[in-house]
Amino acid sequence: MPNYDAIIIGAGHNGLTSAAYLGKAGKKVLVLERRHVLGGSAVTEEIYPGFKYSVCSYVVSLLRPEVIRDLELPKYDLEIIPLDSTFTPMPDGNYLFRCGDHARTRREIARHSVPDAEAYEEYGQLMVQMAMAVKPLLGMIPPEPTTWNPKDLFGLARVGNHFRGLGEKLLYDLTKLMTMSSADFLDEWFETNVLKATMSASGIIGTFMGPRSPGTAYVLLHHYMGELDGAFRSWGFARGGMGSISRVIAEAARHHGAEIRTQAPVDQVLIKSGRACGVVLASGEEIQSKVVVSGVDPKRTFLKMVDGRHLDAEFTKQVSNFKIRGSSAKVNLALDALPNFTSMPGDGPHLAGAVSISPSLDYIERAYDDAKYGDYSRRPYMDIILPSMLDPSMAPPGKHVMSIFVQYAPYHLKNGTWPEKREALGDAVIETLSEYAPNLKNIILHRQVVTPWDLEQEFGLTEGNIFQGELTLDQLFFLRPVPGWAKYRTPIKNLYMCGACTHPGGGVMAASGRLAALEILKDMKLRLI
Amino acid sequence: MATYDAIIIGAGHNGLVTATYLAKAGKKTLVLERRPIVGGIAVTEEISPGFKFSTCAHLAGSFSSGIVADLDLKNHGFELLGLDPLLFAPSLDGNSLLIPRDFYKAAAEIGHYSKFDADKYPAFCALAKNLSAFLQTLYGIALPDKANPRSFNPAELLKIGWKFHRLGEKEMYEFLRVLPMSAADWLNEWFENDLLKATLAASGILGSFVGPRQQGTAFNLLHHQIGASNGALRTSGFVRGGIGQLSQALAKAAQRFGVEIRTGAEVLKIVTNSGSASGIVLQNGEEIDATQVISSADVKRTFLKLVEPTYLGPHFLLQIQNIRARGTVAKVNLALDALPKFKSSNGNDAVALGGVIHIGPTLDYLERACDDAKYGRLSAQPFLEITIPSIADPSLAPTGKHVMSVWMQSAPYDLRGSDWSQQRDTLGDRVVNLIEEYAPGFKNSILHRQILTPFDLETEYSLTEGHFYHGEMALDQIFFMRPVPGWSRYHTPIENLYLCGSGTHPGGGVTGLPGYYAAKEILKNRSRQK
Repeated sequence: MPNYDAIIIGAGHNGLTSAAYLGKAGKKVLVLERRHVLGGSAVTEEIYPGFKYSVCSYVVSLLRPEVIRDLELPKYDLEIIPLDSTFTPMPDGNYLFRCGDHARTRREIARHSVPDAEAYEEYGQLMVQMAMAVKPLLGMIPPEPTTWNPKDLFGLARVGNHFRGLGEKLLYDLTKLMTMSSADFLDEWFETNVLKATMSASGIIGTFMGPRSPGTAYVLLHHYMGELDGAFRSWGFARGGMGSISRVIAEAARHHGAEIRTQAPVDQVLIKSGRACGVVLASGEEIQSKVVVSGVDPKRTFLKMVDGRHLDAEFTKQVSNFKIRGSSAKVNLALDALPNFTSMPGDGPHLAGAVSISPSLDYIERAYDDAKYGDYSRRPYMDIILPSMLDPSMAPPGKHVMSIFVQYAPYHLKNGTWPEKREALGDAVIETLSEYAPNLKNIILHRQVVTPWDLEQEFGLTEGNIFQGELTLDQLFFLRPVPGWAKYRTPIKNLYMCGACTHPGGGVMAASGRLAALEILKDMKLRLI
Repeated sequence: MATYDAIIIGAGHNGLVTATYLAKAGKKTLVLERRPIVGGIAVTEEISPGFKFSTCAHLAGSFSSGIVADLDLKNHGFELLGLDPLLFAPSLDGNSLLIPRDFYKAAAEIGHYSKFDADKYPAFCALAKNLSAFLQTLYGIALPDKANPRSFNPAELLKIGWKFHRLGEKEMYEFLRVLPMSAADWLNEWFENDLLKATLAASGILGSFVGPRQQGTAFNLLHHQIGASNGALRTSGFVRGGIGQLSQALAKAAQRFGVEIRTGAEVLKIVTNSGSASGIVLQNGEEIDATQVISSADVKRTFLKLVEPTYLGPHFLLQIQNIRARGTVAKVNLALDALPKFKSSNGNDAVALGGVIHIGPTLDYLERACDDAKYGRLSAQPFLEITIPSIADPSLAPTGKHVMSVWMQSAPYDLRGSDWSQQRDTLGDRVVNLIEEYAPGFKNSILHRQILTPFDLETEYSLTEGHFYHGEMALDQIFFMRPVPGWSRYHTPIENLYLCGSGTHPGGGVTGLPGYYAAKEILKNRSRQK
């Protein structure tokens, strides 16, 4: 008699979400986490005494409202503080500032270009419409496009009808958005370079593409689809850091009876007669369950934790072909004081929002070029927040933490290794940022550099890809993570996938965790297990 | 009663195809060509006495065999010469790839560098062939557009569905997956040898603004397989007498059906009456009326130069302006005193150089060549697709001498901080010096040199921004999005004004398909008008 109904490998936010949903349905669940900390890459860690870093992911926006509602997350003190603005300093001392106050943003953009200010309103409205159009896809199980199975045909028809119902113009705009580069897409709307650069930056986050690469306009929308209290596009910071999100989901899971063990690395999935029936820990301990759910990426799952004999060569090849090239790094800083930006000196609301180092499209494109040929960007793109401005508990009084998301830092380096180059990357980041905030070097108390290699070693993300797999058109929807296996099931019976490598992809959404759990419950109900 | 049933602007290959099919159906048709010869960018020109160049397009393997048969082009002087070898790709480290015509010999050649690759090659070719065949099937389907929004009739949908399923599950998924991919990613899944991958990826960047690592280039690769390809390399073939002979044969076929062709006749504008096209006015002032006007000129030129904007509406005009047609190709045509001697051909130049020659030895090389376009620069190390057709067809040059046609990328139309009249010679020098690196002594054999920058292509051949395909073959500018969303069936907001050039579906590459499908559509409408 197996000890558990389900064992979940990895206590990332998706794994924890699956645990909570399964627990809520009365299933006996065990979550096994390799690290000493829960949350995967949504963690808060006090790397330097007194200073709390959201080590990896640092902002939230896409957390599914249905998950928040179903698991009653606010009950556990989940509080998301909106990031109200984006401040882009420019090398010549000028800047671009956009915030929640529409009128103010409009005036600010008009300072650069009056036609752009007009276009910005219209653009925002279009993006909201398109986000609403695509939203239903986030919550749906991808139908299989290659079968005559009525259920899938019906699913495809539903998707088809949904899009046809959008009306011609929106459908065409959506097609463009899905296939264009963010630069080309934005070129049709705006003329201000720094505006286009800052906006297109969200199109390249987590990808191995540049703003001129086709397929980046889509990721623009992906980041636009966030909902905070119903307001699209508001990004926020979780009080207590990203770890709070994981903590809260874990509490919900425990509330529903799930057991969570840390420092329990899983070595292998136990398979008998072609069915998953439990796991073996690195310690040798065997734990049995009816079902195993992997919250880690498919390469780690199938190429490390599953004995290859159980998989056919074609599937293994497809998993090997799954593109998961990491391109981002984090630099987390403990600061003795606030950074002083030449473009907007002193304290101010601009420091309570996001700071974007994206002065022009060429700047980001050159950063990308460096990475294409196997090196980190000499002058990287950066997305920066100072969590302590919104949540003083993150640092001692008067001091601050700075979270810097960096692109590009390719996992595969042409020369050298990441341990050798880690500090050089950190230096390049500090050097570049110092050009905009000259006091920076004087106020750094501590610096943590997290390279793609570190993301892989410490946080279990293969090749350091933050989305557990690139979000390119050929790896989305019914093609994610492997064609034919987009419904959270795998070729091994009773083995499921619930991480960001499944639809709808990455971004601290908890969508995969929920959808996977629902599919598992469906199978359990049909006694397929 | 109009003088003509149809006037076609431009005697490029698509315009001639449309004209012939309309005439075949009984329409009194007139074709007006600005230049002194027909052919558009499929022309043979004797730019140096005794030397005949395919000055612009130089390979014609993609031209629809259906049209060749329908219009009996073989009897009008069209002869396609198969390439042998298919391709020669030298590299500076002495390793070169020679792909012979024979399929199995090709695999053996590849095996010299990687047995792994040689083993995969046949399967890859078979897959690419199946996928591009399905793509071609899709090309033939009537697309939904403004006039026919619900036109996906169930029978057509079922037909596509059936053909799709015939691919088999694995290939169905491959089609969906590969279509939006980058050529580099796709090829990296199959092969290990960089020279082989670059050689195959090259057809994915032809006419493209972006390099092989960017999404959409796998589609472009498949698009260039149209015709009788072996699946992996771009379908190619020389036309005996130069590619202009294709256009000449089309012109003869057209005239046989009664089409009137006037050269040296530049259309100034399209005449509209109450929102309907009723004829054209030539540069010299002559007005000719017709029931229908069909433009084979590129779409931007048609609407921004030839049409009165009053009838177009601001939204449509904006869409036209937004069409991306950023030319990145230049041609360098050279008359040679002797064949070049490539360092890595092992003295076998006469054998090795009879097909296509690629200078583009690695994926990174191709990517870097395309990077330069992004920053408005002429590529420091360009990609070159070279042909020396006089080897297979000695009629093109005096005995012992040769013509060399070099297609070069990237030469972006929009140069930053300079213009093409200033950079023309730099481009020519860069190309010649590059070939010299691979074939020492080459420079000394040059008798004559012609450089066609994107600006020259625009001026001389009426290509907006010098784009050979009349508009980029990007994922958002194909199928029902080409030329602009909602207008994929060759008609326009102006009644009786149609389009039939490469700027329409299914795009460029000297296939003749836009011209053919446009004619079909026009004839359908005509009969419905009763």
